[in-house]
Amino acid sequence: MDYPETSGVAASGEYLTFTLGAEEYGIDILKVQEIRGYDAVTKIANAPPFIKGVINLRGVIVPIVDLRIKFNLGAPTYDQFTVVIILNIGKRVMGIVVDGVSDVIQLSSSNLHPSPEFGSILDTRYILGLGTVEERMIIVVDIERLMTSQEMSLVEAAAA
Amino acid sequence: MSIDMSQFYQVFFEETSEHLASMETLLLNLNVESPSLEELNAIFRAAHSIKGGSGTFGFTDMTSVTHVLESLLDRLRKEELALRAEMVDAFLAAGDVLRAQLEHHQGGPEADADEIASVCERLNQLASNDPTATDAHPADHSMPADEPAPAQVRRIRLECMLPANVSGTPEAFDNLLDALRDAAAVDIKQRPNGMDGKFVAILTTQASDNDLKEVLAFYCGPDEVLIEPEAEEDAYGFFEDLPDPVVSQQADDSYGFFDELPSGDEASSAGMEAAGFGLFDDAPGAPGSEPEPPEVSPGDSPAAIEGPGYGIYVNAPGGLGLFDDAPGAEYVLKTSAPRPFSDKANAILSRESDSATTKVNPAPQVEATSTVGRRLTDNPGVETAKAGRRDNDKIITAANTDTSIRVAVEKVDQLINLVGELVITQAMLAEAASNLDPVLAEKVLAGIDLLSRNTRDMQESVMSIRMLPMSMVFSRFPRVVRDLAGKLNKLVEIKTIGDNTELDKGLIEKITDPMTHLVRNSLDHGIEIPEKRVAAGKNPKGTLTLKASHQGGNVVIEVIDDGGGLDRARILEKAKEKGLPVNDGMSDFDVWQLIFAPGFSTADVVTDVSGRGVGMDVVKRNIEGLGGRVELESSPGFGTRTVIRLPLTLAILDGMSVGVGGETFILPITTVIESLQPKLDDIRTLAGDSRMVHIRGEYLPFVSLATAFGLDGVQDITKGLLVVVEAEEGKAALFVDELLGQQQVVIKSLEANYRKVPGISGATIMGDGRVAMIIDVSAVTRMGLSHARPRLVA
Repeated sequence: MDYPETSGVAASGEYLTFTLGAEEYGIDILKVQEIRGYDAVTKIANAPPFIKGVINLRGVIVPIVDLRIKFNLGAPTYDQFTVVIILNIGKRVMGIVVDGVSDVIQLSSSNLHPSPEFGSILDTRYILGLGTVEERMIIVVDIERLMTSQEMSLVEAAAA
Repeated sequence: MSIDMSQFYQVFFEETSEHLASMETLLLNLNVESPSLEELNAIFRAAHSIKGGSGTFGFTDMTSVTHVLESLLDRLRKEELALRAEMVDAFLAAGDVLRAQLEHHQGGPEADADEIASVCERLNQLASNDPTATDAHPADHSMPADEPAPAQVRRIRLECMLPANVSGTPEAFDNLLDALRDAAAVDIKQRPNGMDGKFVAILTTQASDNDLKEVLAFYCGPDEVLIEPEAEEDAYGFFEDLPDPVVSQQADDSYGFFDELPSGDEASSAGMEAAGFGLFDDAPGAPGSEPEPPEVSPGDSPAAIEGPGYGIYVNAPGGLGLFDDAPGAEYVLKTSAPRPFSDKANAILSRESDSATTKVNPAPQVEATSTVGRRLTDNPGVETAKAGRRDNDKIITAANTDTSIRVAVEKVDQLINLVGELVITQAMLAEAASNLDPVLAEKVLAGIDLLSRNTRDMQESVMSIRMLPMSMVFSRFPRVVRDLAGKLNKLVEIKTIGDNTELDKGLIEKITDPMTHLVRNSLDHGIEIPEKRVAAGKNPKGTLTLKASHQGGNVVIEVIDDGGGLDRARILEKAKEKGLPVNDGMSDFDVWQLIFAPGFSTADVVTDVSGRGVGMDVVKRNIEGLGGRVELESSPGFGTRTVIRLPLTLAILDGMSVGVGGETFILPITTVIESLQPKLDDIRTLAGDSRMVHIRGEYLPFVSLATAFGLDGVQDITKGLLVVVEAEEGKAALFVDELLGQQQVVIKSLEANYRKVPGISGATIMGDGRVAMIIDVSAVTRMGLSHARPRLVA
């Protein structure tokens, strides 16, 4: 529903950056509810392997997706340094496991460039643009579109 | 000033449907031969509230229907018309029309215009075609006080407390003013302001107090309205001790008269008081002793003589009459002939007792005057009884409004969630504290004990907020039964037992449809036509009993009829026709279960009531969807009993926790029959991978939960456990690693943030804060079997 607003070139604002493999990604900070450590999850039967399971987040059952598994970034480890970003997307709450959270950056539309077709681990459909901050390239992700997409199988397929 | 009215619509919709429901209940309980005035008034009030509300919100279609309805009701409650059965029918039909209109405003389909017109027509006809009744109940109208008062303009002070919903809503208040302005010239002295609903105005009007109260009736109860003649303080004090009707009905012109009195005399303001008082002291003060009017007038005249034109007062009764806007006044003004005093006192006092509930003046006075009134009025019984009834009504309504609040369900659910959290936190705390040294940490442990008790109590009372009495469901059935019995030409009496049994709101909403189905079935197939019943030696009137009770952690709802019972032979015959696996040696219980099969109907004729064979299977599915069960008992010739067992709430489930491959799963305890340790030779492997378990002569499908959920469970059958469950398709044996315990769990939705998972009906949070999945037994059984099947094919 919000796609027309968020697709295309992203508006300027604050972005939370995290690393996945060798790449650095940015997501709209307003979609982030909190960042927490990785807890034991309860497995969900017959779910794809990147869906680690669900956790109890203060009484709310929240599914956890390991983006490292989703994007085939080697064997994931779970220790006290593993970070889960809890996202608030639409009315849903979900968590993503990433390699690490770097920082919060300010990106204005002037240093955000439309993404060319390139071989990112992410499909360009989910990329809003590329930003540059101090020589670092940040891939700005339309996290809402990514998390609600069919391939994440987090949401019920519409009229399936 | 414009306020978005739509935010109030929801309130109106809710209130109106409540009014409609209470109107229907009242109508159904109404005794047509001798309707109680109290009930008629209650029905009238409901209709009036709907009319007022729909007017305020601009739903004019509803206003016009209620108006017609109200006119007829008004005539009934004033006893101008006698109640007849067809009127009740018409009222019920009008209720239906209003409900349709209400649904239309809520976005439903448009109400049938022909239906509306025909109902209005019917009501109008009923309201107009009974002129004789007016004479039949002359009591009220032959009372002088109730005759149309001669147009006498009075100035009165109106003071009332408006409820917050009126005072806080400018539209509602404007409406009130408009209504008042129809009857009187209004000079507002104090506007209601937010929470303070006090409204004071000076009215110049010809209308009687009762008329004004009626105008205000929609906004506040008559006992909240204070009507006094408008006067200066001192002049008022003058009348202070008088019987109130006289005070309240005093016209302001008579006041002017006292104001103009010369003050040189003994009868100047202060002295007047004594003298004026003397008048009443002599006259109505001793009314029991048949006062002599001539004796009164002299007592009066010294006070009155000063002004010109006070000759009226010379005739004592006239003086009295002047204070009254009732016909007495006119009479006296025209003729100076003395009139027996008691007549007018009657007029005044009977009027007084009529409105005894209104606090016209300081309360103690009311009692005093009504004693007088009783002695004086012609038929005091009628009047006081009526007043008493109104009193009761008010008390009931007042109690209702004061003791309940309207809260959004989400707020309650949020509270329930929070309390659920609290319980979990408390359990974690208790767990952590169990390692403490009981000697050193005595106080901490005692505190945790107390905390656990308090949280449990709190959880219970919070859960009870969602609980509603079964009467919410039962109350709709008298109407259903009435309509249906009429249609089927049967005589049916409905009885309800256990109306106060409480059930979760969610369940209440969902149980109504299946119950309606059962009731319709009982009426259509169960209870016989009167002739047949008489032939069978039964009361021609059949009885349908709805019963609700608590049994353990369940609510048991029964639908019992004393009809013909189920026909075993016929059911078997039909089942055979349908190709269902039956034999003549089946137990009754199993035979009755057949009628829950989809498409099963023994009815020869498909009526619009039932017989299509959709129904019992839907009933069964709905009830099982709620975590309940449905059973049938029947004995030929004596009736049928359908028993529905439901869990107390949808939010809490009695579960058995089982461990599989390191994960914890919850099995709803209602589905669990037994658990046992399997022996290797009980397991029979059929072709391929599918296995059966032999348990006491029965072969049950063997379903491994580890396989179904793709977990690494115990492989060695002798090391695990079998849980025998009852699923939709029949029994099955679930293979688990271990049994962990039995506990109540709070059901949480997985779908809120994730999606539906096959074989899982929901999730819950265990005492240690971890999430556990609740197993959908039927789905898992199917999954387990289908897991086996592909390999079978391969």
